[in-house]
Amino acid sequence: MKGLVVAVIFAATSLHAQVVATTSRGVAVADDQKLQLFDNSRMMWSSTGVSAPSRIVVGRDRIALLDSLNNRVRIADLATGRGEELETGETPIDGIFVGRDLFILERDAKTLERFGPDGSRNRLALASDPVFIRESGGMLYVYSRLEGVVQEIAPSPLAITRRFQLAPFASDFEVAGSTGYLVFPREAKLRLIDLTSMKAAGDIDAGAVPVDVSITRDGNALSATGVTIADPSAKRIWTIEGRQSLTAAVTRGFIRGLLGLGLFAPRSSDFPTGVDRVFTDGFAYDTTTGTLYRSRRGNVRVVAKGVAPYGFAVTNRGIMVWKDGTLHLLE
Amino acid sequence: MKRLLLIALMAVPAAAQETRIASDFEIAQMKQQIERSRDFVSQLSGHLNLGDLYATRNERATAVARYSRALEIAIAERHDARRDSDMTRYSTATSYAALAYAKLGRRSEAFTLLEEAIRFSSDSAKSWNLYASAMSLLGKTPKAESAARNAVTIAARDVDKSPTVENRLDLALYQYSLASAVPDADAERLLRRVTESLRSAAFDPLRREIARTESFEIYSSARGDAAAYLSLLNRAQLRLAALLEQRGETESAKDQYQRVLETRTDDATALSALARLSRTAEERERYFAAAFEANPFSLSLIREYRRHLDLKIDVAGTTTGGRMRAALHQMARGESRAARATLDDLIQRHPDNETVMQLRQEAESCLDCTGLRQTIALLRSDRLTPEQRAALDRDTFVSTATFDSATLNSGQTVFESGVIDGVPFRFPEPTAFTGSFAAGSPLRLTYRILGATELRGADALLLEPLKLEVRR
Repeated sequence: MKGLVVAVIFAATSLHAQVVATTSRGVAVADDQKLQLFDNSRMMWSSTGVSAPSRIVVGRDRIALLDSLNNRVRIADLATGRGEELETGETPIDGIFVGRDLFILERDAKTLERFGPDGSRNRLALASDPVFIRESGGMLYVYSRLEGVVQEIAPSPLAITRRFQLAPFASDFEVAGSTGYLVFPREAKLRLIDLTSMKAAGDIDAGAVPVDVSITRDGNALSATGVTIADPSAKRIWTIEGRQSLTAAVTRGFIRGLLGLGLFAPRSSDFPTGVDRVFTDGFAYDTTTGTLYRSRRGNVRVVAKGVAPYGFAVTNRGIMVWKDGTLHLLE
Repeated sequence: MKRLLLIALMAVPAAAQETRIASDFEIAQMKQQIERSRDFVSQLSGHLNLGDLYATRNERATAVARYSRALEIAIAERHDARRDSDMTRYSTATSYAALAYAKLGRRSEAFTLLEEAIRFSSDSAKSWNLYASAMSLLGKTPKAESAARNAVTIAARDVDKSPTVENRLDLALYQYSLASAVPDADAERLLRRVTESLRSAAFDPLRREIARTESFEIYSSARGDAAAYLSLLNRAQLRLAALLEQRGETESAKDQYQRVLETRTDDATALSALARLSRTAEERERYFAAAFEANPFSLSLIREYRRHLDLKIDVAGTTTGGRMRAALHQMARGESRAARATLDDLIQRHPDNETVMQLRQEAESCLDCTGLRQTIALLRSDRLTPEQRAALDRDTFVSTATFDSATLNSGQTVFESGVIDGVPFRFPEPTAFTGSFAAGSPLRLTYRILGATELRGADALLLEPLKLEVRR
């Protein structure tokens, strides 16, 4: 692994499929039919990958490498890299581990599939175009884009417990505590859903074309959850405070927790090109140019250029970028 | 600016005259469009259509160059749109870049960009239709079906809200795309709906415009509603006719093919199909002649023609289509020298055409086919000497064979008959080969000659197959 680099200018952005993810044992990289795990500069293991890696789902002791194009998943043990490749339903687009169970969202099959550690498999039919799966309080929440529905699912036995009709065509869905945050690019809105009551919890206007939302700070006794939205049209990211309960707000000495009433102060950062993905620690990414930025206290700097769309991951040491067969630590 | 509508299929021919290939007209039109109009839609559709037109003529290198140029244009547009903060434009350009990648066979890049476009425009039926088209090109039918269903759902909502001609045309277009990805029974239902809708009074204004402008061109990326209407009607009728033909409803299929010819008298696919379904040899040859004038370089047409080739008919090769038919006749008769001369002449006129080059290579090895023809004649007339008979029993031969039809079954492919260098052959019984092979593709066959026989009324060889391999 390379040392700390302030700004790296790589060659042209590659659309060649490669995925990087942070795990509890190091950084996992899927590229060129291989799945590898790195701990600092050391390669811990290398095993067979998939032909078109699209996403790495990280669990406590296993990871799952998805190939959305070819309907494959490779499930590997984090300690050894050993595992198996399985066929999935059509277009495995997202996934999540709950304990040792892996749940894969098969978008074009309209199903959620559970892969048990003992090899068992169960399927559940979902609404049309399910694209995001999140977990909160031991329950799973799936957003189906075409129908605009959030379905609450019990992991075991696998069953839909509740559903809420929100609005179609969200481009991202994140969960913090018991609140779900969805961004709608065409309407330029951030909508909230209270996952406890499965009811709408307000909405706010969010820039011009918001496409990505990220929970950039967990809420605690002193501060509310930090929610950051990428708006490539306005070439800005917007950071706002997430929804707070009245009690939490009072505890913090603020009565501004009722999102939707405009009682929070958005902060924003301007970018030379429009960023469309945001991460913790002020990192943001522009898919068109493959540029990684970092924003701190209103100042924006280029971290690297020519980075593949999923060829990087934010870690607690900085951002790890996979390029030309090498893992670089930047920032 | 005219909007761009993608009709999910490779382009096929257009107007033909005595010595002009049907797609010549569209190619000239597209080149003119690229020279005269500098806007994104004109440039992009120009290069995509040229790529498709050259692909149907089996000029693959030229087609790839055009697709590559379309890709460059779409990528530049993506960057410009982002710089201008125009996300709708960005999403459209991204979808077209993905389509160009798909046409170039670059699956992973195509998929990455399709997903990127959908992040921004999952509410756009057009984006889903482009997604479906790209997935169809890459052979990912279930993904194509899912995307096409999304497009139809969104477009149907739009028609419910506002039943304009534009919205109805969009819906018909997406239903047609969906029909390309679903099982035949569903496809037929959808195609009937599409053709009925297109022929309904709702499209009278468009039909009047088409009549006024005397439009007839068929494009896969159509600029404007009139061009899209014509191309869509053509494609939907062809697909419906093919389904009816497959189901054995010959007369209904012929009616549909004839309907195609009402608007495009020189549609090579319809002409070839009508030749195939003809009752008399004269009628068949007439349709084949017209089909060869429309697209002399279609491999499927050549296969079809060879299957029905009638050596009793003399072909005068004054046009490109005529010369192609003449070359095929010469090859079938074992007149390799004459075939090579005819094909050399065609190569002079069409130096980039891979079909002609392929036939020329075949003609080069046509000494074999002369030998095979002579062998049939000797076997038929029982004029083989005992030594020749012994040699025939002993020797094995290796040739490039093309099979008529294939049945796939548990990892095996069953073949029964085909053609070697224009000479028909069959096996004593249907024979299963390990592996998956396609009918109509050149394969390397090792065999023994058992005797002479008949296949569809023509002289043929009876062969004992020993080995079948993919040709390297």
